This record gives sequence, C-alpha cells and structure tokens, in this order.
Amino acid sequence: MNNKQKMSARDQFKTFMRLAKYVLPMKKSALIAILLLLLTVTSTILGPLVIQRFLDDYVVPLNFPAKEVWTIALIYIGLQLVNIIGSYFQTLRFQEFALAIIQQIRIDAFSKVQKLGLRYFDQTPAGGIVSRVTNDTESIKEMFVSVAVTFMQAIFGIVGVYIALFTLDGKLALYTLILLPLFLILVSVYRYYSADFYQDIRERLSQLNAKISESLSGMDMIQAFRQEKRLSDEFIEVNEGHYRVGLRNIRFDSLMLGPFIDLLYAGSIVAVLSYFGTASFTSVVDVGIIYAFTTLLRRLFQPINQVMQRLSMFQQAIVSASRVFALIDNPEIEPKQTAVSTQHITEGTIEFRNVTFSYDGKQDVLKNISFTANAGETVALVGHTGSGKSSIINLFMRFYEYERGDIFIDGVSLKEYPIEELRKKVGLVLQDPFMFYGDIASNIRLHNEELTDEDVREAAEFVQADQFIEELPNGYEQKVTERGSTLSSGQRQLIAFARTIAMNPKVLVLDEATANIDTETEVAIQKSLEKMREGRTTIAIAHRLSTIADAELILVLHHGEIVERGTHAELLAQKGLYYTMYELQNGTQE
Amino acid sequence: MKVLLDLRWFFSERKKQYSIGITALMIVALLQLAPPKIIGYIVDAVAKDELTAEMLMRWMIILVVTGVLMYVLRYIWRVMIFGSSVYLARVMRERLFTHFTRMSPSFYQRRRVGDLMAHATNDINAVQQTAGSGILTLFDSISTGGFVILMMAFSISWKLTLIALVPIPVMIFLTSYYGRLLRNRFRVAQEAFSDLNDKAQESISGIKVLKTFGQQKEDVESFTKRSEQVVKENMRVAKVDALFDPTIAGVFAISYILSFYFGTRFILSGELSIGDLVAFTSYLGLLTWPMLAIGFLFNIVERGNASYSRIQDLLSVEPGIQDRPNAVSQLPHGDIVFDIDTFKFPDDKRASLRNLHFTIKQGETLGVIGKTGAGKTAILKLLMREFEGYTGTITYGGIPITRYKKECLRQAIGYVPQDHFLFSTTLGENIAFTNPKIDPAKIVAAAKSAHIHEDILTFEKGYETLVGERGVSLSGGQRQRVSIARALLMDPELLLLDDSLSAVDARTEEAILRSLKEERTGKTTIITSHRLSAIQHAHQIIVLDEGEVVEIGDHDSLMAQNGMYKEMYDLQQLESIVEQGGGADE
Repeated sequence: MNNKQKMSARDQFKTFMRLAKYVLPMKKSALIAILLLLLTVTSTILGPLVIQRFLDDYVVPLNFPAKEVWTIALIYIGLQLVNIIGSYFQTLRFQEFALAIIQQIRIDAFSKVQKLGLRYFDQTPAGGIVSRVTNDTESIKEMFVSVAVTFMQAIFGIVGVYIALFTLDGKLALYTLILLPLFLILVSVYRYYSADFYQDIRERLSQLNAKISESLSGMDMIQAFRQEKRLSDEFIEVNEGHYRVGLRNIRFDSLMLGPFIDLLYAGSIVAVLSYFGTASFTSVVDVGIIYAFTTLLRRLFQPINQVMQRLSMFQQAIVSASRVFALIDNPEIEPKQTAVSTQHITEGTIEFRNVTFSYDGKQDVLKNISFTANAGETVALVGHTGSGKSSIINLFMRFYEYERGDIFIDGVSLKEYPIEELRKKVGLVLQDPFMFYGDIASNIRLHNEELTDEDVREAAEFVQADQFIEELPNGYEQKVTERGSTLSSGQRQLIAFARTIAMNPKVLVLDEATANIDTETEVAIQKSLEKMREGRTTIAIAHRLSTIADAELILVLHHGEIVERGTHAELLAQKGLYYTMYELQNGTQE
Repeated sequence: MKVLLDLRWFFSERKKQYSIGITALMIVALLQLAPPKIIGYIVDAVAKDELTAEMLMRWMIILVVTGVLMYVLRYIWRVMIFGSSVYLARVMRERLFTHFTRMSPSFYQRRRVGDLMAHATNDINAVQQTAGSGILTLFDSISTGGFVILMMAFSISWKLTLIALVPIPVMIFLTSYYGRLLRNRFRVAQEAFSDLNDKAQESISGIKVLKTFGQQKEDVESFTKRSEQVVKENMRVAKVDALFDPTIAGVFAISYILSFYFGTRFILSGELSIGDLVAFTSYLGLLTWPMLAIGFLFNIVERGNASYSRIQDLLSVEPGIQDRPNAVSQLPHGDIVFDIDTFKFPDDKRASLRNLHFTIKQGETLGVIGKTGAGKTAILKLLMREFEGYTGTITYGGIPITRYKKECLRQAIGYVPQDHFLFSTTLGENIAFTNPKIDPAKIVAAAKSAHIHEDILTFEKGYETLVGERGVSLSGGQRQRVSIARALLMDPELLLLDDSLSAVDARTEEAILRSLKEERTGKTTIITSHRLSAIQHAHQIIVLDEGEVVEIGDHDSLMAQNGMYKEMYDLQQLESIVEQGGGADE
C-alpha cells in the first residue's frame, strides 16, 4: 500500500488546528450555529422523555386529567417545533459558515498563487495548482458541513442521552457507561484500517480517471499506432484493481459499520431488558422507563454509526487542507521591490551592469552581462535556444530575482521602483500570446477599466489589428473561447500587440514568435512591430535579421555571454560572426 | 423505473448475487420486527407483574439469536448487492473504454474530453447507485415498510395503523419534490464551481501576462467574484437540502401524536394493551427509514435513468471507418497516387482539398508546404484513413487505400503529429509505444536518430524519467523529437511528419533530416511544414494554397518558377541564417 502521503497524527492535528483558526473571525456565527445544534439535539432527546412521562403518569394508571394531558401534549408539540425549525436553521447556518470559510481559504490560496514567482510555475504543472485552489478546498468544505456537524451532534447527543439515562435510572446508566470505551475502541480500530483503505481506493480511482482522460486526449496517437488493444488491456487491469479494492472496502465497512452497530444495539437491548426484567421480580418497575431506555439507547448508537461513516471524509479533508496550506506557505514568492524610489520612468534608458544569473544556483546561464540602451533605442538579442536571451527578459521583467550585478531604468535600480510603475511602463509581448475567455475588447483591455472603448479601438488600429477584428461577425464583441482557439496564431499575436500598446509603455520587450506563423501574417506582424518600437526603448529577441538591421545595438549571445556587440555596420566591420551571417545572407539571396 | 428494465441483462447475469442479497434483505426486514414485539411483551408482562425468570430467559435468547442472525444477513446483503453494483460500474467502464478506442477522429472533434470524462465517471456512478442503493431501497422499503405495516395492522391494530400513516404520503410527496428542486439547483452550483475552476486554470496558465500587466490584484478580485457566486449557488442548494430532515421529523411527530392520541383512546376502550402501544410506537420508528427511502429511490432511479441512456447513446455511436468486406490484408508497398477531386471535413462548409493529383514514388520523400489551413494535415489524415468521403481515389501500390484492412494500412504508417502528445509514463515507454517489450538498444537507436538521446541522458533517470503531470516537463522541441523517435522506432514503410519540426532549432532540424535520409533509403516519407528548410531537400515538393496545389516540383525547379515558393523561400531565408549563425560559432 502506498504510504507516501500518509500524515503523522501530529501533522494531522496541526493541520486541523490551523483549519480551526479560520473559524475565529466567524466566532459569532459559529456560536449561533452551535447553539442551534444544541437546541435541536436537546429537543430530540427530550421527546422520548416526555412520552415516557405520558405513559407512566397517565396511560398506565389510565387516568387522563384534561389539563395535564394538554400540557404534556403541548410540551411535546413545542419540542417538535423547536426541533424542526432549529434543525433547518442549524443546517443552513453551518453551510453558510462553512462556505464562508472555504471562500476565505480559496481566496488566500489564489492570492498566494498570484504572488508566487515564475520559478514555481515553471516547475509545477498548472493542473496541480488548479486542484489545490478548487478541488482540495472543496473537500475541506465537507469538514465543516458534514464532519463537524456530525461529530458535534454525536458528542452533544451522547452527553444528552447520558444525562437522560442518569435521571431515569442512575445504576443502569452507570452500567451503560461501559459502552463509551467500547465505542472509542471501535472508532479507533475502524479509523486505523479505513484510513489506509480509503486512501487506497482514492488513489486507484484517480489512477483510473487519469487513464481514461489521458487515453481520450491521446486517442489519435493510440489509433494511429494501433495500440487500442494494449491500452484497453492496461485499462482493464487498472479497472480490475479498483474493483477489487472497492469490494474489499464494502466487506470491511459491512463488518464494521451499520450491521455491527446494530448488533451492539441488540446486545444492549438484551442487557437492559434483562436488567429491568430481573428487577421486576423483586420491585415495581415503571414501564415508561423501559420504553425510554430502549429508545434512548438507539439514539446513543445512531451517532456512532454516523461518525464512523464520516471518518474517511475527515481524513480526506485533512489531507486536502495540508496540501492547500503547503501552497499557502510556499516560499517561492516573486521578487520583492524595495520601492524606495518615487521617480517615474520618463526616458526609458536601460542599463544592465555586470549581471550574472543562475536558475539553480549551480550553473550560470548569464555571465557578466552589461549593455546600455538609450531612450528610444532598440537592443536586439541574437542567439540560439539556451543562449540566455530569455533569461535576460526574465530578469528584466522581474520574473526571477537576481543577486549579482544590477539592472537600471533611468539610472534607478529595477528593484527600487514600485512594481506598479514597472508594470505600467514596461510592456512585454510574449512569444505565445495568451488569450483569456471573454471577447476581443476584453482581451485588449484586460482588467484595466480605465481604458475606454475608444482607447481599445485606437490600440487595435495602431497595430493594424482593426481590419481583421472588424471583419469578425461581432467585431470587438466577438467571443474569444478558451485559449483563443477560434483565432489564428497571427491574429492572437496582433491582439497581444494591441494589449501592450493600449498601456502605452515607455519600454517594450519583445519575445518574437518564430513557430507556427505563416509568412504572410508574419509580414503584417513585422510592420506592426516596427510601428510599436517608434519612440520606445526596446529589448527584442530577434530571429530575423531584417527586423534588427536598424537596431542601435545588437548583442550576439552564446552560452550566456555576449560574444559580439555593436550596430549592424560595426558588427559587419568586425568581420566576426555577424559578418559571416550577413555574408551567408547575401550569398543565398542572390 | 425504465432503467431497471434496461439493466435486465445485468440482473440476470448476477442473478445469484441479487437473489441471495434480496432474500437476506427480506429476512432481515422480517427479523427486525421481533425486537419491538418482544419489548412490548416484556413491558406488558412487567406492567401486569407476570414476568417469570424462565420467560425472560427465553425471550432474551431469542433476541440474541435474531441479533446475531441479522448481523450476518446484513453483511451478506451488503456484499452481494453493493458488490454487484461495483461490478456493474466496472463492466460499464470497460465497455465504454473499449468503445472509445474504436471511435473515429470526427467523434473526438465533436466532443470534448471533459464531457466524455463526465460520462465515464458521473454517469457510471449514477448507474452504479441505481444497481446498488436503488435496488436496496426498492426492496428494503417495500419489504421493511410492508412487513412493519402488516405487523402493526394485524398484530396490533389496523385502525391505529391507518391513522398513523395518514401523514406519510405528504412526506413522500415533499421529499421527492425537494429532490427535483435540489437537482436543478445543484446543477447550477456545479456550473458555478466549474466556472471557478476554469477561471483558476486560465489565470494560472496566463500568469505571465497577468504579471506583465501588473493585474494580479484585479485578477484576485475577479476570482473573488466568481467564488462569491459559488457560495451563493451553494446556499441555494443548502436551503432545499436543509428541508429534508425537518420535514421528516415533522411528519413523524404528527404520526406519533396521532398514534398516542388514538392509541390511548383504544386502550381506554379496551381495544389495545399498554404494551401494544409501546410496540406500536417502536414500529413507527422503524418506518422512518423506508418512507425516507422511497423519496430517495425516486431520485436515484431518475438519475440512473438519465445517465444510463446517456451512456447507451454513446455506446450506440458507430465506429467511424470500418473495413470493407473482403478487405486486402497485405501490407501496402509501392507508389502512392493521389487522385482527389474534392474533400470536405464533416461539419465544414468549405472543401479542404481540391484537385489534388500527384504521385509519390516508392522510397521518395514528398514535401508539402503551405500556410496554416492550406490543407497539409488533411492530406495526411486521408492517407491514414482517419477521414473518408472524398471524391476520387488514393492508391497505395496500385490498390485504393480504402480496400486495405485498416489494421494493415496503419501498420505501414508511422505518424508524427503536430501536437506531439506524450503519455504520462517514462520517456523510454513513450518511444517504445508500439512495442513496450522491444530491445532497449532499439529505443536508444531511435532516440539517437531523432536527436533526443543526448537530451534524455541529461535527466537523472535517463530513459526511466517520467513525463507529464508527475514527471518532468519537456520543451516543445523535446516533445517533438520524442514523438519522432516513437515513429522511427517502428521503422515504418511510410513516415508522415506533420509539421513536426516546428519547435526544434535549425541545426537540430538539419541533423534530424540528415539521419532520416540515411535511415529511410527505399522507404517513403511525407513531410509537411510551413518552414521550407524542412522540405527543401525532398524529391518532390508541392505548394498548397487553400486546398489546391499551386506549384509542384523539386527545390530547384520551384525556385526557377519564381512563384509563391520562391517568395516564401526568400522571406524565410533570413530567419534561418540568424538562427544558424547565432549558434554556429564553435
């Protein structure tokens, strides 16, 4: 059995306490809910007692004084009303309160995700993070809705039943105390085994579902390579395993849960009847007490059964909570700004000074990078995959923190600007333009409500995205589906440009797209890019010599180092690498 | 109740289990009538002071025996009935899965993986519930309820029984009404939740954009709004959900009051003993569950009905393209001749391919170039017979491909798709996809040809490295190369590369093309690309535009034509030089 995820009892307790802390801000509504719960539990316990009184005092002697009988009837009706109304509002209150807690945990987790550094996202699959924020929090909900309520109900119920039993017959009640340790043993034995069993079945179920979902996604590959039979066989095996474990759980639960509790109940009834029966040989016994005892005992056993059924939920909630808390505690946060400067970025002069950087602390991916881009100039980065182009952008965008060397805009270290200033003045265009669910306009505007429809239109016009947008059936209101799959990659790129231009940044960072754009769209994109660069300091990762020939500074990167630098003309004069490239270009173009 | 009829095949397959289970259930229903009756006797005896030690002893032994018997029987019916329902889930799941493997690409184009998953999980769950809890509640409520009522009516008082049951129909009506209400609200709540899920998914995938535009705070707000919606919808569910318990409690309270009121009257008139009344109210307690169960039953069965028919609908979808009668079962070999007038994807309005006439000689390489949407992939899909329904023919070795057994045709083809899909298993197993038991040396050889071997060795566990959710994430280029290795491993008669080199850099691309050339002498290869470098050395190149061949020839002749090919070439030349130049300095 897989034990790697099993938590120690201490960790479980710690997680539980941390969850409990979320209740603190909602003390009042929690208290009301608990009071309501107490009320309903009390009324359910008092019900049989009232009936017992009625039997003993009036039915047995066959004497029905109208006033007293009415009083007792009204008390009973009153109790039932309290029970009915109380239990409705109590359930509602607990829901309300649980949902509020879950929402808080969700927002905490999501806000934390937004604060995490890019390193975290580069290392963690998105699916996993999403399930921390939504699914795991959802299973914590059960902790407050059904687990907590059941447990409290059980405790109140048991205490209440014992109080009632003691008032009825102290001696017998004392005997029934034996049941308590018995319950405790039963519950802990069940918990001990069921924790493993349920963990096992959950893992198998998720394996099973993963198998189906993956096979569905990769079905064309499976069919193209004729692996239907093999995959089916593999699936059948996983399915079979899941079935076997499911059966085992049913057997185990049947042995330990409902039927067993019923057996214990039967045993206790035998004991009670024997007790009263024997007592009746020597003294007078109120039959009402026999009735009350047998009914109350059932009330004692019911909650135990429910508690045991909820145990696996409890376990699951704790495991989920620990995962969510691990996310909330994740130390991998985004670089912090020291934010001592109140200066605004007005010019857009960029300077890299002796920047050395490593992702893993072992291998430097950038070595002593220094260069300056004056206001309005373009710096082009040239180099193959892994040469360090993207790392320069990762640092410049403050996606990753750097320690060695420094980067300045207008003479002030990047670290000293408030992050809002940087985000407003530095625009990044990504290689893979990400589209959000919404419409074209909302994808250009993003969450920035200050932008008017006119601004959005102007931005689109500026990057020449307006032609294709206006051709869409709904123009700017055209729906954009998940990941923008209805748009071509070129169109997505243009929308991403418009998005950046709408902010009117001082500094532009371009991570130029290479793959999957056909040549004609490419031309349109190049034109827009040229326009965007006018009057803005630009750092561009370039794949096309044509786009960088006019750059004020071209850096040729190799293994994290700048191996050549200069303008197009200077680099040609150096007769180095760039020269070879240029020669090659001329040679083949004729 | 239709689903119970539809599941006949299953119930008859598990006849033994269900008979044993239901019999046990009925016996339990009977046995559980004993204790209240015994309690009643004893109460009566005590009240009349007639109880003897011997009598007490006898009743206690009977109680103990029934208790133990009930335990055993309860265990049996649970294992039999619930066990069978889990078995049903397993059978259905397996059917569905095997069926999925037979479905055509157009089936997958029309349906989302998420929806299919929902059928395989939620719907199967609902059917399982029907065969388990559904059957249980059906028989249990009928037998327990029936026996209890009979017992109350015949051994105590039929008049009192009728009176006590008066409010019950109200409860059944109300609970099944709540159930319907609940289901609608629950669906809306589920939608709100999946909306929240989508939102989280989107924000996390688009985190770079959000960070770049400094909109994290705004995004948290928009998440909060959705999360509030989830709370709201869940509260609507709770408002109905919370009605069940109080309703049942209320209805039974009325029953109790009625029983006591009329019960005492009957005692006064001598129709009833005190013990009878005590027993009667105990029986009334036993009725709670079966009455409640009837409300549940309606909901379970109704859900099972809907789910089962959804699953059946899925299962009745015909597999797309099947073998013709007396299909050829030889492996295709020889020239491939395309003679297609038009082809349209199902659901498309515009033809994807038009007037496609060309021949690929055995052992040659064909390059297909064109913009996105020009029809490059369509050519490959037709060759693999993922789609049919074109006018014209495609022959392979002189035989129309439609006349081959699909099995044989596919066996000859190695396909590298555009969206390189990797399975979440080890790198080695991904490459050895067609034959997991192949000699590891061959895996390495294929990896070397695809130039992914070096990359694989940089991982700590090498070929044993896990890919996907729980493993390493590979770059686009690496995934493409693993996918190429996968196709190369089978050393296919015909290799199809569907724009499969788009994410590798120019040098790697060249190296892969070189090893393809060396290893695939005598075998046919088709490469589609939007980048010329991938196809310029092909024996024959076709230039596609909007589904039509606009130019055809080899590189030199196409350059000489001075048309679309030349235009593309000039534009793309710049790019490749920069790429090569940037890295070619060692």
